Amino acid sequence: MNDSELHPFVESIAREARRPVVTDPAARERIMAAVRAEPAPSRRFGIWSRFVAPRAFTLSPAGGALLAAGLVGVGIFAGSLAFNRDGQSTVGRSQVAVAPQLPVSDTVVRFIYVAPRATTVYVVGDFNGWDTTKTPLSRTSTEGVWSVTLPLSAGRHIYAYVVDGTWSADPHAPLAPDDGFGHANSVKLVRRGSSS
Amino acid sequence: MTHGSLQRNLGILAGTGVLLVLSALPAVAQDPDPLAKLETKDRFVIELLIDSASVAGLPSNALRQMALQGIAKHADGRQIVQAVRKQLNLLRTAREVLGPVDDQELTAGASVLSAGAKPVQLAAFRPRKKGRNDLEAFVVWADFLERKVPSEEAFSAISKLWQDGADDDTFHSLWTNVQSDISQGLNPGTALQNRIREAPGRASPVTVKPPEGAAGEPKLEMI
Repeated sequence: MNDSELHPFVESIAREARRPVVTDPAARERIMAAVRAEPAPSRRFGIWSRFVAPRAFTLSPAGGALLAAGLVGVGIFAGSLAFNRDGQSTVGRSQVAVAPQLPVSDTVVRFIYVAPRATTVYVVGDFNGWDTTKTPLSRTSTEGVWSVTLPLSAGRHIYAYVVDGTWSADPHAPLAPDDGFGHANSVKLVRRGSSS
Repeated sequence: MTHGSLQRNLGILAGTGVLLVLSALPAVAQDPDPLAKLETKDRFVIELLIDSASVAGLPSNALRQMALQGIAKHADGRQIVQAVRKQLNLLRTAREVLGPVDDQELTAGASVLSAGAKPVQLAAFRPRKKGRNDLEAFVVWADFLERKVPSEEAFSAISKLWQDGADDDTFHSLWTNVQSDISQGLNPGTALQNRIREAPGRASPVTVKPPEGAAGEPKLEMI
């Protein structure tokens, strides 16, 4: 298709389009002068824009590994703050200064065991993580009465004594079923706010 | 901030992270978790069981305590895994039988099952008055079973007292008297029968039938 085949109306538009535009040689100068006369844009967010403006940077593999290690370290540190040694979350819990492994409690319980010939007596149970050396009883009389006082949470606690290395149930407390480990346990029921 | 200073700051951050990791390593190496004393495979299974309990809304700490007890008693890993698995199954059954009770009662209910009570017997304690707590009843019941009181007699006595609204002190007194009689040589079943006649509410050692609708005795699930 050439120009002679165009519709007269289209041809007139094309003719107008081909006509050279006559510009004022001083127009560019006037426009630039007007731009320079405009006030500079506000720099209120100049510092902030330094942080939010996208930018590209290079990071070597070693630098990336160090950065990842740093993030892992921060995670471990935060995790150690948020969870206790039992893996239970401490977030949102009241922190009461009690001996480690002992539950938060408002009840004091006295454990008494009579063993005149014993040299060591420990009480071991769910309140001390079944640690056989954590809670020793003290000999309180020459008749062989051993005792210890512990803060316990209200509820049902399973425990036993270890007397000179031998497990023994409390003869003055209800028995707990044998758990398959060959040594009987006892049960201590602690009522809220009481002492025993 | 120039490209160079950004990289320098990143380097400082990474260095700090490395120091934190290095400072945390001794703590990780000591691993204060007593379950670390177990062989890896046993620990893995036990942690899986503990997680299962948590997911099911069961008191997972009971399982953890069971494992710790096994470690303290120098049980081998297989025994400990078996005990923890059994405890999980007992807790599941107790939950199914007792419904929405608190963790303490649930664990005590599981303990009664462990002592030899049948789930259908435990189901008799499901309908409860608001605010009532059955810890003492369950503890005394489990103790009787441990002391070889016949299962039906123990259930009959405890459930009758419970239906009569006996309080904790009544259950405790019953236990004190019965264990005293047994320690003096009396037959456990006879000791209970004698003492239950004296208990407030005049509970008689007759057979108490489990509640209607509790006939479907839950089975212990094995996982």
